[in-house]
Amino acid sequence: MSYFSVLYILVFLPLVIIIYNILPKKVKPLVLLFSSYLFFFLYSKWLLIFIFLSSLSIYIAGIYIKKIEKEKNEKIKDLDINNKKIIKDKYKKKKKIILIIAIIFNVLFLFYFKYLGFFKNILNNILNLFNLNLKFKIIKHLAPIGISFYTLQAISYLADVYNGKIEAEENLLKLMLYLSFFPTLVEGPITRYNEVKDKIYAGQKVTYHSFCFGYQRILYGLFKKMVIADRLNIFVKIIFNYYSFFRGPIVFLGAIFYTILLYMEFSGTMDIVIGTGEIFNIDIPENFRQPFFSKNISEFWSRWHITLGLWFKDYIFYPVSLSKFVKKISNNFKRIFNNRVSSLIMGGIALFAVWSLNGLWHGAGYQFLFFGYYHFLLIFIGNIFEPYIIKLLKKLRINRENFFYKLFRIIKTCLLIFIGELFFRANSLSSGLNMMKIILTNFSFKGFNKVILSLGLDIKDYIILSFALLFVFIISILKEKQINIRKSLSKKNIVIRWTCFYALILSIIVFGAYGAGYTPVEPIYADF
Amino acid sequence: MKNIIKSILFVVILFILCSLISCLLLPHETIRKYGLIKTSSYEILAENENTIDSVIIGDSLIYSGISPMEIWNEYGITTFDVAKSAELINESYKNIKVVINSQHPKVIFFESNVLYRESKNKPWFYIWQELYKTYFPLITYHNNWKKYLFTNFNDSLEFSKINTYKGYKYITKTVPGKKLNYMKEVNKEKSISKENKSYFDKIYKLCQDNNIKLILISTPNMKSWNYAKYLGTKKLAEEYNLTYIDLNVNNPLKIDWKTESRDAGSHLNYKGSLKLSHYIGEYLYNTGLFEDKRNDPSYASWNKAYDFYKKNID
Repeated sequence: MSYFSVLYILVFLPLVIIIYNILPKKVKPLVLLFSSYLFFFLYSKWLLIFIFLSSLSIYIAGIYIKKIEKEKNEKIKDLDINNKKIIKDKYKKKKKIILIIAIIFNVLFLFYFKYLGFFKNILNNILNLFNLNLKFKIIKHLAPIGISFYTLQAISYLADVYNGKIEAEENLLKLMLYLSFFPTLVEGPITRYNEVKDKIYAGQKVTYHSFCFGYQRILYGLFKKMVIADRLNIFVKIIFNYYSFFRGPIVFLGAIFYTILLYMEFSGTMDIVIGTGEIFNIDIPENFRQPFFSKNISEFWSRWHITLGLWFKDYIFYPVSLSKFVKKISNNFKRIFNNRVSSLIMGGIALFAVWSLNGLWHGAGYQFLFFGYYHFLLIFIGNIFEPYIIKLLKKLRINRENFFYKLFRIIKTCLLIFIGELFFRANSLSSGLNMMKIILTNFSFKGFNKVILSLGLDIKDYIILSFALLFVFIISILKEKQINIRKSLSKKNIVIRWTCFYALILSIIVFGAYGAGYTPVEPIYADF
Repeated sequence: MKNIIKSILFVVILFILCSLISCLLLPHETIRKYGLIKTSSYEILAENENTIDSVIIGDSLIYSGISPMEIWNEYGITTFDVAKSAELINESYKNIKVVINSQHPKVIFFESNVLYRESKNKPWFYIWQELYKTYFPLITYHNNWKKYLFTNFNDSLEFSKINTYKGYKYITKTVPGKKLNYMKEVNKEKSISKENKSYFDKIYKLCQDNNIKLILISTPNMKSWNYAKYLGTKKLAEEYNLTYIDLNVNNPLKIDWKTESRDAGSHLNYKGSLKLSHYIGEYLYNTGLFEDKRNDPSYASWNKAYDFYKKNID
């Protein structure tokens, strides 16, 4: 049951809302938990056991860590500083062991379902390289829905309990709901326990206001997905599957269209997710902040899939850059070079770890690793050259705040993103490289007009696409200027408000790319 | 209470707006005769009674591959594609039953690909699909906005009154196909499931009872058709003593899969459909069962439909 399906929007969600609202406050969170497990079951059937095991494992580990912490506090009560340190270290080690076991337990599931096949292929290739007549075989299994997302949430919970940022939860049901909450289950965002724990279990009533506000947001998400993403999908599918038949500009247009499609699909899903949260008065964190207004790649990743970026920052970047090993390397460099070089190296190592994992998180394939390293290089090179560029601009007397310079940076960033997404969508790394080769070596506009009209989109589709994109663009500009459109709209009279809603609903029904000749985009991030 | 009334009012107005748009986008002739509900599911009901010579039943291979307007233009024979994407044989049976309510075709072509399609969805899915198609026909016809927007409005009003394509879907997209094992000979036929065979038996009996010649046809399809399926269909045709037209073995229509497919060998595009439509027209003409109706005033709407069709594809 996709979030974009009629079944979800007009049947599942309203039913949950009705049952949730008629039952007493105490039971409301249980309604959400039951709905979430039902939602999971509809997707992944009895793989449900794995999300339960993850919840149970972090629950037990959390409680155990809490117990160790309590024991430690009691023991160090009357000790002097030196003995305190010894006892603290001893208990820290104990806590660490629990943390590591629990993380390994959760990551093993993820590895088994998602990466075993990929690493098996690598191993077989290596064996083949040495002419060894050995081949590993594995049976492929369907992964539980949202495993990449809820595993990261489980790890963040464990790490936060370990670091003392949050108290270990003593109610297993709360943790079960945290990992499985149905709006965030399939494509995130990756929430933190302390962000959602109070609201998710508060059992606040769905009000007329929260219902309307939530469904407004859901409608906007539907518009982005059904009018734009699904329409572009026709074109994108052909280009990426049969790129060798096309010239450079068409292949590049395919990459641009795919990037737009991905944004519309993913951010549209987030609108539905956040909208669903709003209905239940649960604040789900935003996952996008107008990413195409970014002036460099780092900024882009702080605006695109924000919760994933923050997760990597908190649980990979900082731990790696502050680890003893990296500190040692950095100190060595400090002695030979200077502070800047040493901090660049320190950050570089942590960045490398982040982007290796980020690439792999997106998929078990070489193209995803390439996708990760591509962004690592862009960010790392950007960090190296930034002071020199600032100096150069000063010499050339170019104001960095100048509109045209900003626009230039935005366009440059977008171009780099299009290339990255080309590899991300390509059927394999070699397909991605071949597509790039076509773009660079066969950049001829001969027959361009004819070809773009023969790939499933007619001129009227392009007109609708242009209007729809303009609409989303205007909303993005207003959001960028911190103007709360929905708040302003809610202050208008009923005629204006309802006209806007009808226009949005009817444009989805009439201009949506569904039915004969269209293939809707599958939930892209649900595969990760 | 105030909020409940507001919500109901909102939904009522939405339904009124949808109905208004439906009136604009749904084929007018059909609504006039059969009302909104039947119209949404069966386009053929828009045709005058007993005016269709031959009906072609099947899946997307049919609506992509056979253009009744081309057959009309060449031979003056009236045909209609009654086909749905990924059609199941029980749906084909139902469609034939609807067709013979208002038409008496002499020949029904049945696309053999349907014989091998098994239902993947649960029964409730089909009930649900039927429900929304029936009570919310705008979902089926929403894409007709293309006839109105960014075009000459007077033209489009007249255009929408006529069922221009007669079930055909005009797609010019070209995606070349390449498959090395296309129709590679094998010894064993692919068997047809018991359930599908029992539906085929029902179809056969329905045609017999209504004095309709049933013809099995395998239209060009490089991706999902194969020699084993061909043998299975041939066997079925022999069992029922039916004519079987196979257009895959040795590629008798000389389909150029590089330029005449819209999706790498699964379906024909417009260019490919010209060849198949010509073949069907010629076949029907050679049966001697049909007259050329191009100059018959009672079929004037077909000539008008052809003018619109031509205008649209040019």
